[in-house]
Amino acid sequence: MPATLAEVFGPDTTTVTADGITTVSVDLADLATSLENVRSQLGYSRFVDLTAVDRLRREGRFELAYLFYSLERHEWLRVKTSTDGEAPSLTPTVPGANWYERELFDLFGIQFEGHPNLKRIMLPDEWQGYPLRRTEPLGSEPVDFTVTRKAYGAD
Amino acid sequence: MTEAQNGSKSGSPGFLLSRLEDWARESSLWPVTFGLACCAIEMMAMSASRFDVARFGSELFRASPRQADLMIVAGRVSQKMAPVLREVYDQMPEPKWVIAMGDCASCSGVFNNYALIQGVDKIVPVDVYVPGCPPTPDALLDSLIKLKERIGMRSGGRHGSQTLPGVGIPHDGTSS
Amino acid sequence: MALTEPESRELLTVNMGPQHPSTHGVLRLELTLDGEVVVHCRPVIGYLHTGIEKTFEAKSYLQGVVLTDRMDYLNSLGNNLAYALSVEKLCGCEIPERATVLRVLLAELTRLSSHLMFVGSFALDLGASSPFLYCFREREKILDFFEGISGARMMTSFIRPGGLMHDVEPALLDQISSLMDVMPGYIDSYEELLTGNPIFRERTEGIGVLPADDALALGVSGPALRGSGVALDMRKANPYCGYESYDFEVPTGRVGDCYDRYLVRVTEMRQSVNICRQALDRLPDGPVHTSDRKVMPPPKEELAKSMEAVIHHFKLWTEGIRPPPGEAYVGVESPRGELGFYIVSDGSGRPIRVHERAPSFANLQALPRIMEGGVVADVVACIASMDPIMGEVDR
Repeated sequence: MPATLAEVFGPDTTTVTADGITTVSVDLADLATSLENVRSQLGYSRFVDLTAVDRLRREGRFELAYLFYSLERHEWLRVKTSTDGEAPSLTPTVPGANWYERELFDLFGIQFEGHPNLKRIMLPDEWQGYPLRRTEPLGSEPVDFTVTRKAYGAD
Repeated sequence: MTEAQNGSKSGSPGFLLSRLEDWARESSLWPVTFGLACCAIEMMAMSASRFDVARFGSELFRASPRQADLMIVAGRVSQKMAPVLREVYDQMPEPKWVIAMGDCASCSGVFNNYALIQGVDKIVPVDVYVPGCPPTPDALLDSLIKLKERIGMRSGGRHGSQTLPGVGIPHDGTSS
Repeated sequence: MALTEPESRELLTVNMGPQHPSTHGVLRLELTLDGEVVVHCRPVIGYLHTGIEKTFEAKSYLQGVVLTDRMDYLNSLGNNLAYALSVEKLCGCEIPERATVLRVLLAELTRLSSHLMFVGSFALDLGASSPFLYCFREREKILDFFEGISGARMMTSFIRPGGLMHDVEPALLDQISSLMDVMPGYIDSYEELLTGNPIFRERTEGIGVLPADDALALGVSGPALRGSGVALDMRKANPYCGYESYDFEVPTGRVGDCYDRYLVRVTEMRQSVNICRQALDRLPDGPVHTSDRKVMPPPKEELAKSMEAVIHHFKLWTEGIRPPPGEAYVGVESPRGELGFYIVSDGSGRPIRVHERAPSFANLQALPRIMEGGVVADVVACIASMDPIMGEVDR
């Protein structure tokens, strides 16, 4: 509902991405209220996804993308915000966001304030580093083939 | 028992018994359920009716490692899973064998990155590597047959685990 | 001798997994038990974390297709489809009709094979070993078809951005058509063994109840959500690949227990057979690659005649697909729920972020809700009824 979105978020704040999903960008300070508005006032009650993109910017390095879905209108809405590493947690209001936030903490190092159990979820507990940040290497092992060894005479 | 058999000649009292042992061991390799990822599905397909691994002796996949003598590492081994794999391997009684099923278990396959152990032979000694992503149940059966040939009656008196030159850590926990 | 009250009730914490005989992969559960009753359940995941999302960033868009197969490994063509749809939205290219219909056929066959696996392993977890063998027998026929079209039984990577890998031979389509004719009979045989079986019903009815509100709050989707009564199916709600023109029903349950989730999946199997038949009937002739030369290479014959074709070919083989900067997410219906790939492109040949919205990741969050309050003997039924695939949970 572009008209209602404009009422809640102000005009000229929404874009439509290549997939046809309306995207709203909000400031980090307004995130909690915006998410509440999206879910209650605008009717996008179903939480679908939360992920982060490392934009490698000086400010607002991580772009958080929340995806919500409206059961009545059968359409998605994306809410985006930028953060340097902290964000309010959605888990107290939406239990489904629990593991998503833990995953972002594990792989990106984003701290979610108010999360009941912000611990690593994918990697071992004693792992150091946040691998999905684009400054971290892939961690691949150099592969040594016998054919190239012979060809380059190192064997 | 183990020392007496190496190079024992035909006719010596322990010879027939060791042959019987080999035959018994290779005819009833019971794998421990260690299906991790996609290869586990093909391992299940191998145990289903079309490929039927039961006719090769692996009638039962034992859940408890104490009751199994073969570990088919079916799938990718992540950093978190590696200690678990080693613990399960250590709990298996001797003699025991390991088949690294699939590309991920052999060398981490498509995933040359931070998250996986680059080949399960970095933590357990492997007897047979099965290439494929996932290997077809035929390939896995072939690997099972090759393993049975190694430990069975035709192996020429070599028996027990690690009949192939080991890679990495010796299975008895000592360092070479 | 009179029974005396126990002096103290101590809670026992039992660790279940990550290696356990239930065939659902490396899931670890820390169960806190009060006698037989599960007081608290803490799922621990991450034992199959493969770093796939990071690996995508090092691969081209076409190489990424190979990685998508291995995430939800029972729905590999469905994963390929979701990824291809997202990349195609980014590129803005059109897919020919034949490719679209074949995609529907392949997606539904994959759904069928995944649900066959579910029925087999669900029954096996509850102790019945025959349905497992019967279901695998039919699954083998579907895998034979996949092997015939692509060369691989499971990880086909057949559906790619821009269409399909190549065309499907009519002989293989006839093979699948005759399988679809006998499939309802086979599904009847599974139902005969399980659906009316009093032991099966005792073990699944009223067990693992997930109310609809909790399901929605936890982000559950797919048959687990439909078992709780919410009729949300991406194929009907947000149709893709022409699903709006197919005639099929979306089954829902009433109570949200394990039995309802099982029934929803069995009915979905029948609907999948239905859709496959419709797809086979309406399959038109034509190409299976898009005509957008920035996504799919030109046919070999054109290379001898057109300089432009040579340049397109060259750029595709050296740089790969280069979608314009942007992002795309297409939510499709996998056998486990809403699946989608959120792909962020910066205009180069490698994506800067590929995130999979994995349905099992959200579904597993509901495990404590359905298990707490029940007995430990029902834990396996609960896990099996949610049908998690750890490959996509941990990625």
